Amino acid sequence: MQTAPEELAAAEHSLSTADAWVTIVWNDPVNLMSYVTYVFRSYFGHPQAKAEMLMRQVHEQGRAVVSAGNRERMEVDVQAMHSYGLWATLQRSGD
Amino acid sequence: MRAFRRERGMFVAELDSGERAAVAAVVADVAQLLGAGRLEDREATGRPGDDASGTLPPTESLAGLSLRIDDIKAPDDAAVHRLLPDASRNEPTVSAEFRRLTEDDLRQVKTARLTALWDALTTAPADGWRSGELVVRPDAGADLAATLTDLRLVLADRLGLDDDEASEALYAELEREPADDEAQPDAPADVRRYLGSIYAALSWLQESLLDVLLDELDRPR
Repeated sequence: MQTAPEELAAAEHSLSTADAWVTIVWNDPVNLMSYVTYVFRSYFGHPQAKAEMLMRQVHEQGRAVVSAGNRERMEVDVQAMHSYGLWATLQRSGD
Repeated sequence: MRAFRRERGMFVAELDSGERAAVAAVVADVAQLLGAGRLEDREATGRPGDDASGTLPPTESLAGLSLRIDDIKAPDDAAVHRLLPDASRNEPTVSAEFRRLTEDDLRQVKTARLTALWDALTTAPADGWRSGELVVRPDAGADLAATLTDLRLVLADRLGLDDDEASEALYAELEREPADDEAQPDAPADVRRYLGSIYAALSWLQESLLDVLLDELDRPR
């Protein structure tokens, strides 16, 4: 489940392979900061500090890339986020 | 209402009968929005969790398999659309395929969780717990937190909480004393206040559940 930071960075800067996709979580005014942190810890297996960093990115910048991989893998992550009530989308990493 | 805390190996909160009824009504409404029928009428259909309308085998036995061939339209109701959102912002075909593959599963997962909360709110806790207590096994805590999110998302839609400012305005509104003017009853304002107070209470309850859930992640295994 763990996604290395380098992978996330690569995904955000887009230049990996053509079939690389990312999962993005968007900010909303309902989800509690503690809940978003909990989801990032329990689903992605991130330590508290990294989960909180991603949560703050969602909250302050409106969105954060939370995982990267092939499309099928991202669909699994997006479905999990929707199950948790987080608003997530997938897109090609270059878009 | 008393916040969640860890007690004898369980997550325990307390809701009085009025609070239980109010929350259970929202649970039933959200389940109905998701197409689960009326939870109140479920007793007639058999065991909890049984899907009376289903001729298909239970979803669990079909793990990962969707029998949908045609696309499903995105939900018209904004609140349901928020519970079952689009998977792409700019590619309708990605959203459509995702919806076809996952929407039935997501509805099933969400209604099963709502049903579990409904049961917990409408039946007495196990022996050894007081009657007002809501007792949750730690391994069911994440599901409850997710369901509280679903309830709050629907309430937030009905209350028009589109951004942080609107949420803050609601809290400011709840702080003020209700207009005590019997001569001019204001029904919409009363409903808004009622739904707003449930939203605030569920937010507070979820925050306390998160305290124990995050503690749980830190406990040595």
